[in-house]
Amino acid sequence: MLEKQRNAFMYLPVYVAAIAIYLLAGILQPRFLTWNNNVNLFTRIVPLLFAGIAQTFVLLTGGIDLSVGSIIGLTNVIAASLPFPDTGMNLLLWATVPLLVGAAIGLSNGVIISRWGFPPFIVTFATSTIWTGVALFIMDVPGGEISISIYRTITGKLFGVIPVPLLIIIGFVAFAHMILRHTVFGRSIYAIGGNKQVAKESGINVSRIEMFSYMSSGMFAALGGMYLSAIMISGDPLVGDPYVMNSIAIAVIGGVALIGGRGGVQGLIGAAYIFYLIDNLLNLLGVSTFYQYVAKGLVIILALTLTSREQGFSMKRGLLSVGRKAKANLQ
Amino acid sequence: MQLPKPTLTDILKQQKVLILLFCVVIAMLMIGELLAPGFSSFQHIQTILRTASFVGLAAIGQTLVILTGGIDLTIASLITLGQIFGCLFVNTSDANLWWAILLILLIGGVFGLISGLGVSYLKISPLVMTLAVSSLVNGVTLISIEGAPRGRASPLLERMGAGSVAGMPSMVWIWLLLSAIVILFLRKTIVGRQIYHIGTNSTASRYSGIRTAQIRTMVYVLSAMCSVFTGILLAGNTARPFLGIGKEYTMWSITAVVIGGTSMAGGSGGYLGSALGAIIIIMLEGLLTVINIPEAGRKIANGLIILIMIMIYYRQNRKR
Repeated sequence: MLEKQRNAFMYLPVYVAAIAIYLLAGILQPRFLTWNNNVNLFTRIVPLLFAGIAQTFVLLTGGIDLSVGSIIGLTNVIAASLPFPDTGMNLLLWATVPLLVGAAIGLSNGVIISRWGFPPFIVTFATSTIWTGVALFIMDVPGGEISISIYRTITGKLFGVIPVPLLIIIGFVAFAHMILRHTVFGRSIYAIGGNKQVAKESGINVSRIEMFSYMSSGMFAALGGMYLSAIMISGDPLVGDPYVMNSIAIAVIGGVALIGGRGGVQGLIGAAYIFYLIDNLLNLLGVSTFYQYVAKGLVIILALTLTSREQGFSMKRGLLSVGRKAKANLQ
Repeated sequence: MQLPKPTLTDILKQQKVLILLFCVVIAMLMIGELLAPGFSSFQHIQTILRTASFVGLAAIGQTLVILTGGIDLTIASLITLGQIFGCLFVNTSDANLWWAILLILLIGGVFGLISGLGVSYLKISPLVMTLAVSSLVNGVTLISIEGAPRGRASPLLERMGAGSVAGMPSMVWIWLLLSAIVILFLRKTIVGRQIYHIGTNSTASRYSGIRTAQIRTMVYVLSAMCSVFTGILLAGNTARPFLGIGKEYTMWSITAVVIGGTSMAGGSGGYLGSALGAIIIIMLEGLLTVINIPEAGRKIANGLIILIMIMIYYRQNRKR
């Protein structure tokens, strides 16, 4: 119970900050508070959120996935190149192909990292270069097309009232949360991120769980890529580039510890709002768009600084436990 | 308990890697000559070396950072900053060149200091810290030129970046000089040796009295200065400012270091390997261009090389 209460408080600052920024934007530009603008916001935030969920799955194991952006780019061009006409069955096929590609890429990352024990950042850095290259092979300039009915479905409203993007946001965050907190797979991810050695000794198949967490990451990134192609009604091989940094950024702002084992997807919606609203706020204030890079960099560094104190403590605890073990061995 | 200390066998192993890399360079020259006669001509080798020197200079900083067990993703953005600011400040006048170089090195150093302080004192992961700082750098570059690059390199700077001295491109001389300095620094100075110790075991080196935090910070500052300096020289090479000129250099510098046999975990390797790595990358780009492979294919090749090289080196380490 205490643990749960602490978790709830952990995510409070993110949402308070998100609401504060939203209200500030609303004061500067009252149109910001209209329902239409909010629906627009939901639509814009979905890809960021998918990238964030993808990154969270890997960060929680203590790894990092620099290939999120390239998977988004590749699945985006694949989705835009598939020639499926508008029937229900074909829609399903259309959605399956990029998803499988994402899963396969994630799985291959996971195999290389967990089976052979290579550092995640250099492996995913290399594979991200490879898959960006493949995306450029498929489509060297932005183009392709998506059936307009997919666009209408995804940006439309369910029963004419509830916007579909909002359903996607709530649905997928809840889905990811359920996987992470209420399945054996999810609990194992936290265990590995907390302490790999202990997880191994308590009978968790570490390399398999790591493999599947990279695979899940690939699938969520693929969802992001497909969603982007649907709202752009076309494909762009380099569309994923900013999502490498942005996915890490919103995971960090959303309270996921970079050393793994702590945090979750609960904070991601607030973090995505903060990250996206900064741009809008600066626009409303009449600041040149170039300042957005600086603002984003500063926000990430600020979030890292605030969370690193906690990591410092856990590092200290880790050292103490190592010391105790060494002492016990000596005696 | 055995202390990790460079022994004669380690040094021999290092030489083995270098000999191997040298053979690769020769083999690539021969393959190139077969595919396109003239590939191994003295003139083309000069061109290869000049292009490789820019990658090589950027790889100096990356090597130092990776030796401490970190990574620097700010290189691309800092090279762009150096190139853009170089053209902006110098603006066709040789008189401006020296203070422009000093000022740009200072600006680069400040960004390096931010990364370094974050990594060593706030214990932020180097990957994420440098990613965030590169966003800052991009912002600062764009803000100061308001999105429209202007200015032009001066005659002297153009001679440095594109001209020749004593039968060799002047860039090659600059590269040789800086390579010699960094190799001596890593092998002969106390701080250079301490960089290896930090990469091997950060905690142990702190307890043995090495000022790990300061040295780690310094390494990021040096890397940032290398990057902006490369950028300034690139300004001399292209004469005009281009946004995004540094785009590929983060990847190239990391690939060069990986090819050169420096361990990604830090603590072993050296600059000579990275320098050969830089030459190999540029020759590979040339070879792939000769056989009409588009940019997409070159990207794939680059990624595959990183993967293959870490497989080779990690297997070797495991056997040991």
